[in-house]
Amino acid sequence: MKSGIAKGRGRVIALFIIPGLLVYAILVLYPLIQGFALSTERWVTVVKRNPVGLDNYRRLFNNSLFWNSLKVTLQFMVGTTFLQVVVGFFLGYFLYKQMKGYRFYKTLYFIPVVLMTVAVGFIWNNILSPSFGLLKPFMNAIGLGELYFPPLADPKLSLLTLILTEAWRVVGIQVMMFYAGFMNMPQDVLEMATIDGASGIKLIWHMVIPLVWDIAKMVIILQLTGSLRAFDLVYVMTKGGPNHATELLPMHMFVHAFENFNIGIGSAVAVCIFILSMFFTVLLRVLMKRESLQ
Amino acid sequence: MNIVKTASYAEKSLARKHRKPVSRGSIIAMQLVLAVWGLLVLLPLVWLVLSSLKTQKELTYNVWGLPSVFQFKNYLIAWTRGYLGRFMLNSVYTTAVSIIISVACSTTIAYALSRFNFKLKKPLYYLIIAGMMIPIHSAVIPLYVTAMKLDMMNSRVALGFIYAAFRIPISVFILESFMISIPKELEECAIIDGCSYPRIFWSIILPLSRDGILTITILTSLTSWNELLVSMLMLGRPEVKTLPIGVMGFIAEFASQYTLLCAGLVIASVPNIIFYMLLQERIVKGMTLGAVKG
Repeated sequence: MKSGIAKGRGRVIALFIIPGLLVYAILVLYPLIQGFALSTERWVTVVKRNPVGLDNYRRLFNNSLFWNSLKVTLQFMVGTTFLQVVVGFFLGYFLYKQMKGYRFYKTLYFIPVVLMTVAVGFIWNNILSPSFGLLKPFMNAIGLGELYFPPLADPKLSLLTLILTEAWRVVGIQVMMFYAGFMNMPQDVLEMATIDGASGIKLIWHMVIPLVWDIAKMVIILQLTGSLRAFDLVYVMTKGGPNHATELLPMHMFVHAFENFNIGIGSAVAVCIFILSMFFTVLLRVLMKRESLQ
Repeated sequence: MNIVKTASYAEKSLARKHRKPVSRGSIIAMQLVLAVWGLLVLLPLVWLVLSSLKTQKELTYNVWGLPSVFQFKNYLIAWTRGYLGRFMLNSVYTTAVSIIISVACSTTIAYALSRFNFKLKKPLYYLIIAGMMIPIHSAVIPLYVTAMKLDMMNSRVALGFIYAAFRIPISVFILESFMISIPKELEECAIIDGCSYPRIFWSIILPLSRDGILTITILTSLTSWNELLVSMLMLGRPEVKTLPIGVMGFIAEFASQYTLLCAGLVIASVPNIIFYMLLQERIVKGMTLGAVKG
């Protein structure tokens, strides 16, 4: 079967691979390399660029705003990961119990996931807005009206608000992951576990914790790289403010490149985003692969 | 990883079997938590819809209640003065381009990778898969610079191509694992009958990969439809803007007309909601899978 067709095969393979590979190379790989090049230039005007070597990086690393941005990104990462695992675990488990109305909740919880991030950002902006939002009258109603403060105007609260909004938006995915995870556990084991107490706890420990850890690992990987991509929500809700309190790395890049029109330093941030993304993914894959072998 | 795949199967078998004694108190507690989160998801959306139907005055003194008269004209104004229809058409156009290109590129590559053995197969596979680690943010500055140079600003087709290119890695990843599980017997018969490879691809592989293709199409359409950063930088002219940037402009323009603002946000969310209602199960599965793999 092979000999007759073998001649044409090379051409067939090329025919199938080359168009897609070209699109990928031109629009993904090439810009990446070009980004490295851009990060070593300083633009005096659009047509006049000076090569400056690693000077952009030096200036970036000497700027406390960059380290602030890194810190904020990490806080966002940790906060969203934690919330998603915890909320996802409990809601996933309760849904798995299949009590009355669970189908409805399953449908409902996933709605924010499919909404436009821009729309989600504005909806929450409006809810928190002092002029006509829901939060202020709500706090009035429960007697805490005096404590009301526009959360996005406060440096501490604004990051927390952003984390909560992001969790609200995407936790539907984690709920479904945990739900599916519980669904796939052997039923009799779980049933036994609930019937007799002491050994039951042990069983649950051995069944549930590994599952939680499995999914938590995925969420961690997702969020580690996801936080390096979190731009839309930040841009819509705070634009990085107040006073850089919510300036995650993508936003930091945006400010450098498109607000201060410093393409060189912006590109340096972009390179950092890329390297961090690579680094986190590879590191976690390696760590977790080793663990699953043990 | 196979947690997600087998979930729906498990669900069927569980529905009746799963009736074990759980104390009344804990059921109530669990129901309560589910309801509270449900409310947390639903309330902002309901509030948005209600606010969009009120008058400006009502917003502040009638926060919780229904509007006394439903102000449907808010929608009319938002629709006509906000040009939301045009933005939607632009989004449809861009998204369609990105779907066509990414499906064309990734099905062909996945076919070659899953069916042929050739020297550079492994490196090629990893080169493409590695793209999953590349955030679009780390390439956006070079893409912007290049688009400016090539006079491709304001081109929805170019934007669609960019989206498509960044979807290739995960699409190839999903499709390759899908195609590899299709039994080879059919093709072997076809080859003996003198069928060409492109023909086999078109009339055997593609129809059998329908599920995988649908999954990557859903994932691609959601990301392209919702994307903000690249489109914001690439599309400046109002007549080519996609929905997310259109909404940004809309919000800025109607900043103090809160009811119109809400109406606009509702309108902008309708396509996503319809999409979700039509393909709910597929979307949940696809996005959970996409999250696990990505």
